[in-house]
Amino acid sequence: MNNLICLNELKNLVRERLLWLMVAVTVCFTALACYNGYQWAALQSEVISNAGQEQQQAISHAQQTLAAREALTSPVNWWDDIHDLRGQAFYLMVNYATKPPLPTALTAIGQSDVQPYFFRMLVSEKQAFINQYDYVHPLGLLIGKFDLAFFAIYILPLLLISSGFNALAQEKQSGQLQLLMLQGLSPLRLLFNQLCIRSCVILVPFFAVSLAALMFFSEGITALSLTVFIALVLGYAAFWLALSALVISLGNTSAYNAAVLTIAWLGFVIIFPSVLNTAIVTANTAPSRIEYVDTLRDKSDDADKASSQVLAQFFQDHPELAKNNDPVKPVDYASKKIAKITAIETAMQPYDDAFQAVLMAQQNRVEQFKFISPATLLQQALFDLSGNGLKRHQDFIEQVLQHHQALRTFFQRRIVSAHQQGDFTPCSGCNADITLPDLTPIPEFHYREQAVVPPWSSLLSLWALAGLFIFLAVFRLTKMNRGQINGALV
Amino acid sequence: MLMITLKKEWLESKREGRTMWLGAIVLLLLAGALFSSWHGYQQLQSQKQQVSQSERERWLNQGAKGPHAAAHYGVYIIKPDPPLAVLDPGLSDYQGSVLRLEAHKKNDTLFRPIQDAIPMQRFGNLNPAFIIQVLLPLLIVLFGFHSIAAERESGTLKQLLANGVSAKKLFMAKVASLTGLGLLFLLPVALYLLVSLLLTDSLDPGRSVLFAVSYGLYILLWSLLTIIVSSYAWTTRNALIALLVIWCAVCLLIPKFTIEDAVHRYPTESAQVFQSKLESEVYTPQRQQAIARFKQETLAEYGVDDVADLPFAWSGAQLQFGEQYSDKVFDRLFGQRQSQLEAQSQHYQVGALFSPFIALQTLSMAAAGTDLLHHQLFNQAGEKHRRLMQKTLNNDLKDNGADNAHGYQGDHHLWQKIPAFHYQYPHITSLMANYAWAALSLLQWLVTLAVATYLAMRRIEKEGQQ
Repeated sequence: MNNLICLNELKNLVRERLLWLMVAVTVCFTALACYNGYQWAALQSEVISNAGQEQQQAISHAQQTLAAREALTSPVNWWDDIHDLRGQAFYLMVNYATKPPLPTALTAIGQSDVQPYFFRMLVSEKQAFINQYDYVHPLGLLIGKFDLAFFAIYILPLLLISSGFNALAQEKQSGQLQLLMLQGLSPLRLLFNQLCIRSCVILVPFFAVSLAALMFFSEGITALSLTVFIALVLGYAAFWLALSALVISLGNTSAYNAAVLTIAWLGFVIIFPSVLNTAIVTANTAPSRIEYVDTLRDKSDDADKASSQVLAQFFQDHPELAKNNDPVKPVDYASKKIAKITAIETAMQPYDDAFQAVLMAQQNRVEQFKFISPATLLQQALFDLSGNGLKRHQDFIEQVLQHHQALRTFFQRRIVSAHQQGDFTPCSGCNADITLPDLTPIPEFHYREQAVVPPWSSLLSLWALAGLFIFLAVFRLTKMNRGQINGALV
Repeated sequence: MLMITLKKEWLESKREGRTMWLGAIVLLLLAGALFSSWHGYQQLQSQKQQVSQSERERWLNQGAKGPHAAAHYGVYIIKPDPPLAVLDPGLSDYQGSVLRLEAHKKNDTLFRPIQDAIPMQRFGNLNPAFIIQVLLPLLIVLFGFHSIAAERESGTLKQLLANGVSAKKLFMAKVASLTGLGLLFLLPVALYLLVSLLLTDSLDPGRSVLFAVSYGLYILLWSLLTIIVSSYAWTTRNALIALLVIWCAVCLLIPKFTIEDAVHRYPTESAQVFQSKLESEVYTPQRQQAIARFKQETLAEYGVDDVADLPFAWSGAQLQFGEQYSDKVFDRLFGQRQSQLEAQSQHYQVGALFSPFIALQTLSMAAAGTDLLHHQLFNQAGEKHRRLMQKTLNNDLKDNGADNAHGYQGDHHLWQKIPAFHYQYPHITSLMANYAWAALSLLQWLVTLAVATYLAMRRIEKEGQQ
């Protein structure tokens, strides 16, 4: 019986020319989404590779020009000298911290277009570099890219709704349903088979294209990632099919079903998430970045005014540097600058923490309320799976700050030591000694990938939501079946 | 005829409870979004004014120091938000509003709100523009898809026409009722426009007019489109599906494809390449040679052999020469980037030929002053101010630094010579050439739909004659 219904359904779809149209739309859109995701990940990899090359070239250049610098007799400014610790630390260093895209990056561009994935590091206040960004057309960021996540979240439900809204209703309106039921066919079975066939027309090409793209273009992708991706999208599709079945089970016309399902799509995919976002952001308001600038300026001025106290505090915090400090010899500019940077960062820490705390509070709220819509569940899950979500970015920032600290420690020790040895002013009016003949000891950044935990909670929640609607639809359809049978028998 | 149709549509809408409910929800969302946006705007403007003032005081009270040290100390300027940003924040979240002006460097604006946002922000922020541009057309579709198709499906269309009802009048009455309903949603926005025009001195009336007219036309376009599709469709189901496909393409897909295409056609360099270029092209041996040449020319001009013998401080003259040298490189590199971004904006506008959403979005952000062009104008004003600041400080050092062996220091009088930065948004009429494509596209849509309306009315007439 099932085979017969499916065959009949397929014939109907072919006759309506809907089958090929839907397959074509799904294949084209999925391929385009994969291409965009791949292009974006490839661009990121290219930028990261260029940054690495630039860094290596700077090291080689320093090695090649060392002899010339040693022989140099004409005056050279320390801020222009790549072999001077101070010049490298504050102005010339080519040192990048980068976050490479994951093999699953193709699935969702996520936040990676608005959050920086590389930083050019210097010994400076973290506030001077942490807000760097890639300057692109902001309209592209507002509208967002057409990637697999967008296709799955927004377009896939529309395709599923448009293919399935008239299932059963058409048979009911034409009077075929009662005839079919008299032959022993239940509405539940008919609808189940109809929705299965119609959804396969969309889901099979979607998975065929997206999985092929992921396997061919995403080097190193694991079977687990692929499985989670399939399970997530299937769970989401199951939700929309179950909702369609539930609406259809109410027994109205196909136009009514289409209108209700469109309103449901509007609610779940557009209104609920944006209302939830607005509510969360309003309830957990972030501190003002405008006021942050004001505070930063004040703290910077305070550090300037209290430079001797700042320096004393610096040496108190770093007794290993203070022990060689000659009290008679004035402290050099570079040490003062590092002490000031440290003082500003320490003073600004509570304000940075406040931003971080609000961001985390907002994200916790999202975790609590993401169940309000399957779209929010899928978005969170796909962003996390692709490595372009908030958590991985936070890990990256944490590692960048650790690297920033390592660079500062590296330079401050050597600068204090060079100053004590008189390397910066070997004689009156002459050039400083070479204090950094080789750039290879400068700490390099290597992103330590945290173990990627599949988004199990979102996955389970999606299936639980789908299960709930499936249960309700089955319940209604079973009732409808009994009612119809009773009606037919009477 | 109009009144009867309106009454009928109203009764049908009342019967279709779900659409009424959705309309009420959207209206509520609009009112909520307007209030929340206005509240946020008030808070932000007050913070911006306060911080700008304290930054000015900080500059004036920085104490005695060398003019070049003051140039490095720099100032932060803050972009004010125009009053219509309440209605359409546009690209505000994706562009920083704080710009640091300092020696030797041209910076990009800092602190883009999107960098502090949670991923859910990508679903979109509930603001009046988003609701009217994206949700209202869908509501118009849901209110109007059945208007003529349902009459046809139930057979009442032929009856109406047979009773002498004019197809033209019927069509126009349906359009009028749907447009009127759409315009109802514009009421809170119109009210805000009126109040801000009366209460805000800085609001350019041209911007309010552009805003109101664009949105009014947009609602008319969607009403026309809905009734046209409904009059061509044999069933309400077909009408709904066709309209949903159009909505999805116009509001979601075409904007995405167009901006992607624009970015591919006119690519910009990554920040990594751009910064490397800036460094490698500013601090070059050619720059050192240019400074050396300038020094020789200056010494020759004054007939001296050493800079110490010049009647002014050489350091000030050299710093200003260095600034002017860098400015040329900045103009070239930033100019190249800006022209690519402008080309992207223009290419995006061409997409308005296929999507009235793009036309409205462009005009709405233009009127609100929240698009890329307005941001670039602010950046240009900021850069002009930076150059004025550097010139004043360097010339002061040049004029006064020669006789002071212990290092010349500027004071309050010098800091006062640098005027406070005040940014005024230009009149929209002076910028309209930049939005010509969007404006013309909106008119093109109106003309196309007018022709389609004529054809649809003739079709209905013929149907009545059959």
